Amino acid sequence: MTAFLETKVDKFTFRVDPACFFNNEGIWVRVEGKRARLGLSDYLQQHSGDIAFVDVKPEGTVLASGDEFSGIETIKVTIALPSPVSGKVVKVNPAMETAPEVINQDPFGEGWLCEVELSSWELDQPRLLDANAYFAKMKHDAEEEVKRK
Amino acid sequence: MSEPLKKVVIVPCSGIGKSYGTVSRVAAYKVTEEDSPDKTQLLPLALLVMGDEDSQKILATNQAITIDGCKLACATKMVQENGGDVARSFAVLDVFRRYRDFKPQGIGELNEGGEKLAEALAKEINAVVEELSAPKEGATHA
Repeated sequence: MTAFLETKVDKFTFRVDPACFFNNEGIWVRVEGKRARLGLSDYLQQHSGDIAFVDVKPEGTVLASGDEFSGIETIKVTIALPSPVSGKVVKVNPAMETAPEVINQDPFGEGWLCEVELSSWELDQPRLLDANAYFAKMKHDAEEEVKRK
Repeated sequence: MSEPLKKVVIVPCSGIGKSYGTVSRVAAYKVTEEDSPDKTQLLPLALLVMGDEDSQKILATNQAITIDGCKLACATKMVQENGGDVARSFAVLDVFRRYRDFKPQGIGELNEGGEKLAEALAKEINAVVEELSAPKEGATHA
C-alpha cells in the first residue's frame, strides 16, 4: 500500500504519491521501465471538481513535452492537460470512456489517463518536480487559495 | 374513511449557488408543477434538514425520488435520515454524462444547455413516476 505524502488545508485533505513526478499543472507521471503512466494529481482533481468527461489522445499519438494529451470537463471547468513527458501514447485507460469519476475516487491509481512509451525521459525528468517539491508547491497553492476566499 | 391520495414525493437538491443544484430544482418544478402535478408532490430539502414532522409524515406514507446536485447527495441522505423510502435517486452529473451537449451554466437563471438538461432530467423522472404510480399487479380497488 502506498504511503502518501498528506496534508490538510482548511477542510480538504490532499495526497501526493511519492513515486511520481509532476509538471507545474499538476499532471503526474510514474515511470516504469521505458513506459510511464500519466494522471491528475489529487489536488488538481479536487480543485477541478467532479469529472463529467475525459478525452485522451488516441493510441499512437506522438507527444512532445507540453503538448495537450487530454482534456477534462468537470462540473466547474473545462481544461486542457499538457503532457509532462515526450513519447507515444500506447494505452488509454478504458475507464475514461465509461467511468471518468474514477479520477475523483482514485487519482493516483485506477484514475490514470494513459500510458506513454517514453522517448526522452532523461531530458524531461529534470524539468519536472519530484514528489517533495510538488507537495510543497501544492500546499502553498492550496493555502493561498484559502486566504483568497 | 378513505386514505389520502398517495403521491410520489420529489426532493431536489436545495440548489443554491451551483448550476447543477439549479438544474435539479428546475427539473423538480417541471415534474411537480407541469408534467405530473396529480401524481407528485414537491418536498423542500430545507424542511427535512429541520426535521419537520409534517414532512416526515409525508415521507412515511409515500415513495420518494431524490435529485442530487453533487456527490454529497444531501437530498438522498436527508430523505433516508427522515425515515423515507428512496424509490429512485438521480444525480445531475450522471444525467449530464448522458447529454453532453447540455452543459449547464448559470445559477439564478440557467443557460440554454441547463434548461435542456433540466428537461431531459424531468423526462427521466416522469418515467419513474409513471412506474411508481402504476397500479400494482394484484391490487384491488376498494
